[in-house]
Amino acid sequence: MDMDSSDSSKPAPPGKPQKRKGGRAGEDAFDLWLQRGLHQLYDNVAAEPIPPELMRLIEEDRTRRGK
Amino acid sequence: MPNQTTSDAKAFHDQVIALLPRLRVQALALTRNRAAADDLVQDAVANALAAQNSFTPGTNFAAWMHRILRNRFISTLRKQRETTDIEDVPAGAFAVGATHEDRLILKELGQAVNRLPADQREALFMVVLQGMSYEDVAEATGCAVGTAKSRVFRARRQLQTWLTGEESSEATTPEQRAGQGRGQGARGALRNSAKPEGRGTLRSGVGEHHLLP
Repeated sequence: MDMDSSDSSKPAPPGKPQKRKGGRAGEDAFDLWLQRGLHQLYDNVAAEPIPPELMRLIEEDRTRRGK
Repeated sequence: MPNQTTSDAKAFHDQVIALLPRLRVQALALTRNRAAADDLVQDAVANALAAQNSFTPGTNFAAWMHRILRNRFISTLRKQRETTDIEDVPAGAFAVGATHEDRLILKELGQAVNRLPADQREALFMVVLQGMSYEDVAEATGCAVGTAKSRVFRARRQLQTWLTGEESSEATTPEQRAGQGRGQGARGALRNSAKPEGRGTLRSGVGEHHLLP
């Protein structure tokens, strides 16, 4: 699951972060690398199935309140 | 107090379910531990279900829910100041398709992210992973928009400093610079992260206390 609409493509392996070139360009390049790296690290966490007990908790509450 | 109709209640539960993946990532940003993150999400959802009448339909549900998650985390933290949990490097660092070098770099990034102050890590995740606006981050974390921007900016520059091995004096606070001096900068600290004194100091020094009022 990709949660950031600004980065719709599956991020490529990040490679090494570049040494700062100085100024805004270097920061932008690092920020892009960081975004891809973070998605690689955490997107699979978001994509994991919802634990059944958590779903049960929500659905039981929905049923109780729907009565 | 808002009066919730049956259709509002249905929408409420659907919104909770839709938000769960993001809550899980955000809980990981706060706890740095998978098991603790799962427990935190479960507790936050239980709190949200109990308090759903206080949510005004049509307002910012994600910010409301993130606030509950955050408050729950802070509440738990107060009860357990002496944490014995182990911080996890995200499973993404062990991706099957990645090269050995990429896995090492991802692992290093995961460790560096875990060393950020909790408020910076939280804001960074909200913006970079969740795609939230600074206004939403401010609403969810109870700070000014400028503070939310500053936290994300400082998190990015701190990671850049750590991971490229270069100091970024304009981007760090005096407190952080003192911490870097203690740990010899990030690159060295990451390389030496197996040393008990380095890891313990960093964990307790830049962690969750930033969230406590």
